[in-house]
Amino acid sequence: MSLELKEISDFLKQHHPFDLLPDDVINALPKRLTARYFRKGTKVLSPEQQCLHLHIIRTGGTETRDPDGQLLARLGEGECFGVRAMFRNGKAANNITMLEDSLVYLLPEKDFHDLAGKYPQFNYFFEQMGGARLRSGMQLLEKRDDDQLKLMSIRVSDLIARDLVSIDIGASILEAGKLMSAERVSCLLITQNGDEVAGIMTDRDLRNRVVAEARSFDEPVTNIMTPNPISIGPDDYAFDALLTMTRHNVRHLPVMKDGKAIGMITTNNLLARQSLSAVHMVGRIRKMTKPADMAKVIAQVPELLSNLIEAGATSRNAGHIVTTLSDAATSRLLQLAEEKFGPPPVPYVWMAGGSQGRQEQTALSDQDNCLILDDAYDPDQHGDYFKSLADYVCDGLDTVGYVYCPGEMMAKTAEWRQPVRIWQQYFNKWIEQPEPKALMLCSVWFDLRPIHGTRSIFEDLHRMIITKAKGNRIFLAYMVGNALTHHVPLGFFKNFVMVRGGEHDRTLDMKHNGVVPIVDIARIHALANGIDVVNTYERLEAAMAFPSISKQGASDLLDAFEFISITRLKHQVRQIRNGDRPDNFLHPESLSAFERTHLKDAFSVIKNLQTALENAFGKSGT
Amino acid sequence: MGLRQKIVDSDFYRQMVQRRATGPLRSYYDIPAADPDTPIRNVEFVALDLETTGLDPKHDEIVSIGLVIIRQLTVDFSSCQHLLVRPKKELSESSVIVHRIFDSDVEQAPDIEIALAHILPILAGRVLVAHHAPIELGFLGHACKRYFGASLQIPTVDTLVLALRDLHRQGQPMKSGALKLESLRHTHNLPPYRVHNALSDAIAASGLFLAQIAKRDPKGELELRRVLR
Repeated sequence: MSLELKEISDFLKQHHPFDLLPDDVINALPKRLTARYFRKGTKVLSPEQQCLHLHIIRTGGTETRDPDGQLLARLGEGECFGVRAMFRNGKAANNITMLEDSLVYLLPEKDFHDLAGKYPQFNYFFEQMGGARLRSGMQLLEKRDDDQLKLMSIRVSDLIARDLVSIDIGASILEAGKLMSAERVSCLLITQNGDEVAGIMTDRDLRNRVVAEARSFDEPVTNIMTPNPISIGPDDYAFDALLTMTRHNVRHLPVMKDGKAIGMITTNNLLARQSLSAVHMVGRIRKMTKPADMAKVIAQVPELLSNLIEAGATSRNAGHIVTTLSDAATSRLLQLAEEKFGPPPVPYVWMAGGSQGRQEQTALSDQDNCLILDDAYDPDQHGDYFKSLADYVCDGLDTVGYVYCPGEMMAKTAEWRQPVRIWQQYFNKWIEQPEPKALMLCSVWFDLRPIHGTRSIFEDLHRMIITKAKGNRIFLAYMVGNALTHHVPLGFFKNFVMVRGGEHDRTLDMKHNGVVPIVDIARIHALANGIDVVNTYERLEAAMAFPSISKQGASDLLDAFEFISITRLKHQVRQIRNGDRPDNFLHPESLSAFERTHLKDAFSVIKNLQTALENAFGKSGT
Repeated sequence: MGLRQKIVDSDFYRQMVQRRATGPLRSYYDIPAADPDTPIRNVEFVALDLETTGLDPKHDEIVSIGLVIIRQLTVDFSSCQHLLVRPKKELSESSVIVHRIFDSDVEQAPDIEIALAHILPILAGRVLVAHHAPIELGFLGHACKRYFGASLQIPTVDTLVLALRDLHRQGQPMKSGALKLESLRHTHNLPPYRVHNALSDAIAASGLFLAQIAKRDPKGELELRRVLR
């Protein structure tokens, strides 16, 4: 075969399901192909139009919409369209429109069927995609959908299957039992004064507290109910609900909104399907007693991340799940430390900063954490205890796989293990006398989230930080100046500006030139408007309500963040799958033209919002 | 278009050269040339690229020919041809460096007369597509004149000329290298080619041609004359 047609067969070999064909077959394939070129916006196929070829996208991208205009798919390099026509006697089923200027290879229907007849794997792929068994294929796809992923994308409110069954607090056990039986529920909410939640009662309570204790059925339900039950909000993820249940060993959670119960979810809703590996991992960590054992679980994080991304998780989901594991390891180490060194002499709260604080961890991260101690703390009396505690936990985290922070921003460092009053001084200084060195600390310490201990210790400090930062224009201007030092890798002509030389020659630094600038922008809008959440998505969602950023701008930035983060994660997953160490350096050639265009758009969004940031708050320092 | 070109492309000239043509060139002229008023969609094109030992048709020789046919604005890969041609003179060092075609490669290859006899029927009735066509026209024309008594007249689309017209229309300043086949393909979101030889360049030109036509008229209803040289 001639060399230049080899380019075409090489291209096919890189794409599924052509890679499943034997070499001699795929090498002969280019001679069967023709090529066409379509301008962006061209409608290539519409329902019932004749289509006698399988279309393989060589460059560019398309959009598939069903006859009702519903978006079905966006396809890029190496993907095929006109598949359903192959199974419908050459009649297209959907609308195909070019999203970009595209070169498309066409394989004649007859050749397609010859291949499908000879190679079952090839046939199977396309049948699944849009062929004769489309309906069963769809069902199969839905079933195959990772359970874990579903839990991450489903909100608690979506899981409330039926109206809440509740009974007034004045009822007897008998009345409650009858109602449960009549309504066929395993759990009853006990209310007072109308819809105020007083407690919860389950069939386990009937067994353990009524039958086993030979209690009279005439006793009031209050004697056997669990008062003030643990609850969850309707906007929380199903995954969080499951974690809460495992953590507290309960099987029912009332869903509360504005102090009122609006529904109930049970383990049955969630655990109907098993295989919740992240939850299992958290469960295992909670039972372990040695950092070295936890390390074995945390070592599976890259694999977990790969599975999640390959199953189609968003980066928001993935960050949340991966961070949950760090949180679990941290909490467990603190429990162990308290067992080892005794209960804390004064209350404390262990805080996570940086990406763990924001719940945006990826493959393994380093640790950023600190200890905030109650003001009753006396260094002479209690210093040794907390030093031992912090050393134990930080060393433990290092063993587990979260390496020491290169900037020593850890509770292990005496400076970051202080009572509330000292922390107040720190924040006062950072906010009122901003200086470049302090700004570096801000990216870690303004993204704090309590992990373990007495959370109320952080609350007052947090309020103070939020209030102080909100009114301080000079501080905000310094933050802006700092944020603008992270340049977006786009040149004047919208070309990529790549890292030059060294180990990462001709790559894009997706972290420092992509993720970090967005995190910075979100932080500034949050601080400027008194928004108290730290997750970048949540910050931007909350910032939409304020005039400092336009609604459109915030929404574009959310999309850009998701796209950049997921591109970075996919890159890391590829590295993990190849047995390489994951990093943040992406070769643009590894992306399809379609992805490259999106990436450029995402970078332009950042650039625009950096400019808007400067206009809104000015720029100072650095 | 210069006056000389107008003459060369005219029917009158065609009739004149046709009378002198011999052998396969005579059969070539028996098939009428594509009508310039035909919509592009209904015209068949041959994207063709030559590799030569130098740039002067009088002294230098063709060492390979690559071509692919375009029908209904669709590139047909089954029509791909890649012919090596044995030059009369030994290959110079500089030409070997450029094309990586060695004397040993072309030892068994046909002479230019045989190669021409092979490609002239393919060109008959079709329109030539080339990137910087004067090279292809010059070398093919010279060889035809030398071996078959008359020069080659063929309606031609030069993708470089189309690209120039695009740039002029946009009024953009020209960057160096902007008219190279590779950079033009990049501008039209076409894939890069790693290997370079007569066939890959012919295929590359065919893709660029489709892109240039799609840009002018996606339905291909434009008349051929609008894109001819």
